[in-house]
Amino acid sequence: MKVAVVQFPGSNCDYDAVHVLKDIIKVDTELVWHKRFDNSDYDAAVLPGGFSYGDHLRAGVIAAYSPAMRRVKEMAEEGKPVLGICNGFQILVESGLLPGALLRNSSLKFICKWVTMRVESTSSAFTNKYRKESTIRMPIAHNEGRYFVEDDALKGLRDKDQILLRYFGENPNGSLDDIAGICNAERNVVGLMPHPERASERILGGEDGRTMFESMLEWVK
Amino acid sequence: MKAVEMELSLTKEEMDYARKFLKREPNPLEWAMIDAEWSEHCSYKSSKPVLKLLPTKGRRVLLGPGYDSGVINIGDGYVATAHIESHNHPSAIDPYGGAATGIGGVIRDILCMGTRPIALLDSLRFGSIEESEHSRWLFKYVVRGIADYGNCTGIPTVAGEVEFDESFEKNCLVDVVCLGVGRKKGLVLAEASNPGDAVILVGGSTGRDGIHGVTFASKVLTERSEEDRSAVQIPDPFTKKLIIEATLEAVSTGYVHGLKDLGGGGLTCGISEMADKGEKGIEIDLLRIHLREEDMIPTEVMISESQERMVFIVENGKEGEVCKIFDKYEIPYAIIGKVIRDRNVVVTQNGRKIANLPTRFLANAPIIPRRAIKPRIKKAKPKFELPKDLSATLLRLLSSPNIASKEWVFRQYDHEVGVRTVVKPGQGDAAVLKLPNGKFAAIKVDGNSKYCYLDPYQGGASCVAEACRNLVAVGAEPVAMLDHCQFGDPNNGEVFWAFSQTVKGIADACRSFSLPCIGGKVSFYNEDKETGKAIKPSPVIVVLGLIDNADHITTAGLKNVGDAIIVVGSTGLDMGGSEYYRTLGIYEGSPPSIDLNLEKKTMKAVLECIKKGYVSSCHDCSSGGLAVAIAEMCIIGNLGARISLEKAPAGRLRVDELLFSESNFRFIISTEKPEKILKVLKKYGIPSAEIGEVSAGVLEFSSKRTSFSCSFQDMKKAYGEAIQRLVEG
Amino acid sequence: MYLVEIVIENKPRARDPEGETIKKDLMYKSGYDCVKEVRTGKLLRVKIEAEDEEDARQRVFKMCNDLRIFNPVAHTCKIEIRGKA
Repeated sequence: MKVAVVQFPGSNCDYDAVHVLKDIIKVDTELVWHKRFDNSDYDAAVLPGGFSYGDHLRAGVIAAYSPAMRRVKEMAEEGKPVLGICNGFQILVESGLLPGALLRNSSLKFICKWVTMRVESTSSAFTNKYRKESTIRMPIAHNEGRYFVEDDALKGLRDKDQILLRYFGENPNGSLDDIAGICNAERNVVGLMPHPERASERILGGEDGRTMFESMLEWVK
Repeated sequence: MKAVEMELSLTKEEMDYARKFLKREPNPLEWAMIDAEWSEHCSYKSSKPVLKLLPTKGRRVLLGPGYDSGVINIGDGYVATAHIESHNHPSAIDPYGGAATGIGGVIRDILCMGTRPIALLDSLRFGSIEESEHSRWLFKYVVRGIADYGNCTGIPTVAGEVEFDESFEKNCLVDVVCLGVGRKKGLVLAEASNPGDAVILVGGSTGRDGIHGVTFASKVLTERSEEDRSAVQIPDPFTKKLIIEATLEAVSTGYVHGLKDLGGGGLTCGISEMADKGEKGIEIDLLRIHLREEDMIPTEVMISESQERMVFIVENGKEGEVCKIFDKYEIPYAIIGKVIRDRNVVVTQNGRKIANLPTRFLANAPIIPRRAIKPRIKKAKPKFELPKDLSATLLRLLSSPNIASKEWVFRQYDHEVGVRTVVKPGQGDAAVLKLPNGKFAAIKVDGNSKYCYLDPYQGGASCVAEACRNLVAVGAEPVAMLDHCQFGDPNNGEVFWAFSQTVKGIADACRSFSLPCIGGKVSFYNEDKETGKAIKPSPVIVVLGLIDNADHITTAGLKNVGDAIIVVGSTGLDMGGSEYYRTLGIYEGSPPSIDLNLEKKTMKAVLECIKKGYVSSCHDCSSGGLAVAIAEMCIIGNLGARISLEKAPAGRLRVDELLFSESNFRFIISTEKPEKILKVLKKYGIPSAEIGEVSAGVLEFSSKRTSFSCSFQDMKKAYGEAIQRLVEG
Repeated sequence: MYLVEIVIENKPRARDPEGETIKKDLMYKSGYDCVKEVRTGKLLRVKIEAEDEEDARQRVFKMCNDLRIFNPVAHTCKIEIRGKA
């Protein structure tokens, strides 16, 4: 199994994702520069967090037009697991691979803190190893994390069990319906604002993030 | 062709010296270059003789002051680099841009050594945010500027401090620190030492930004400063991020022989300093430089401080290999010249030499002797009655901006990116980060201008002591230090006296703790020209420490109900400059006395207890004294405590003095093994005692005559909400 | 009641990294090389009570300066009256 972590100009959490996948989950992982990304070489892709293109115009919009995203779309259509973390989620949403939009936090400030979430659905490429309705903790660090989608689309997400994670106890950014992470209808493309790669080592605060990557391995089997 | 009015900051003596040395009159371009390089900011002409007092050697020190960053050996083939920068004057007029570009500058200094920046710290000083709308505005936007820039470049801002005092109303201080890590064999020095090597200017284009930036920093702010538009720099962290990745990739080729960031003084300072260090010369052709604005004259090009530019010295013949990397990241670059054998800085245009100055002359400004005059400061002993409601006093202190939680600040900083941050802001006395060799780095920045105002020598030494105590409290061994000395106008004898005394205090403390200074800065002219009011003396100290074993990492929050609470060190009457006095409107008194020997022994003792596994939590006592320290441990740990004050080793003190005195050399420890700890402390001769225990609810203090308590909710509210309430209303 | 538009931009001589990135990395790379320059700014659409257009303009101008809606050190501020609200 080979995983690609796609690196855009301005990606920051790319090395972090590679470290967790390679050194902790122990899966063959490559950091791939967006211009050189060829999806046929990989079984899964991770779009890491950061500030691709400086978040200029809108977070994720410029990266969404990168040729690399056409290839990510192909992977998605092939049913391969694709994970968008934070800026990666923003890129997936701007590319149309996931519905909705990520708007400015209601506090209008960048927020870096650990949050609690509830696992709403274990039926996806990245949540299948969690226990349904368990609470997990991971850190967020973003300026534009407020999930928004139109009413009819929200109904669709709810009905089709596409809301995977909801903020629990406190909604840090004003996301609609407390949504922290969602998946597509085929359940192989997942986006979330919190950072699982920052919650994969106990010494850094917790290990609830590891399960997300382990779920990916399970899905590929 | 528009000419910029050349207002030189050089003194008559400096100009005479230049003419004498060169045996001719420099042309306008050359004058501008000399002016930039000899500015206080670039040359340290007032401060060099005093800075010589600081110890710079140590067994881990690879490079000390004089390079872009200090370098220490952390073992296993790895090195750490650290540097401190400030952007005081720009932040005073454009807090967002000034602070952001300050971060940009300090990152470059770390990058220049070929190391990867892994952490940032900020040390900020403003006027009163309780009373001044202006200071609130500066505070808000400085924090946002640092947040936006640090977050975008993906470097965690892991620790910091903020101090508020009226003396900073017109002259805020914005200090930023960067820590880097890399392999020893990948270290690059800012030296142009091989004739024939290519000089490549990489990054943003050159425009009129920041012209007179360094001379701006070396002048006192006047009312006209708000109109100084060309001194404002536009932050561009996205380009910086690309430059970080491209630089590290380029360095790994092995063909980069020298690296220098262009900051203060622009190209002039950059190339003259590199040539001087390499004992060679550099020749550049102005026409090769990418200009953003079309009608720039040579002087403007040579002193422009446009951001995000670096100079690479690349091995002759290997330019293509390195430039391929810049192409990958789509960063503009231009080969602008070469290293030459003659020790001159030569600027050409259209094949004609338009400036030609000896490197050694340009890079070494003549020292200006300064007079030091000791001022007369009254050391009064204020008298007032014991407050009736001590719990209200404690809550007031907890909500005082100098003490209150800075969570409003650090929540805006991404402190987790990089997956290295083990002890995060708000958890312990210093930040602790993972290092690539399995060890850990601890880092903290500290200053206290109130102490330094009352006694610069003691204040300087106290700052070093406090920073070291903070490191020891997290289980780290201090190994290196940076200092940034910020004062008013050095022409003022009293200011210069304070500066010399402060540096003496810092030097003595460093020598006593075997702590080498690996870098630092001096910023003068932090003074309001209209009122002549200078800032209080503000040395800012950064201490870097190492932890070998993850088990030693200690945080400040109380851990277990039933743990014993021990106070390490004796409390004396050290109220001058204290936060308690400040809340009562008292500004005189003697600042905390310093006993370097005792301080050293105490730190050694506490570190031994931590390494032996006896300590559950540890916090140093500083602002607000013992009471605030214990309250903070309760708030962070979500627990309470019962404290018997009469057990604390102390002089003859009234109860409020015992609670809020800011004596040095004290720690609070909570532990399951009090007898073991007391035994170690006794061995070192440190006065200490078990004064209470951790409880589940309230914080209670009792002594023979008084007792009072504070509820956990009240303390958390006072401490946690104060800054937010003041800034956001 | 008058409708006033306030447009805040970086000073013309100052760099606009956001505008540069949008032009270079989004527009050019998607084939719109006919675009020569992009500058970004902030738009505030304000409805304000005033005696007449001139009064509206003066009030908005004073407000922008007093409240530091733009920083004169780095920004320009253009005020346009768009008629009655």
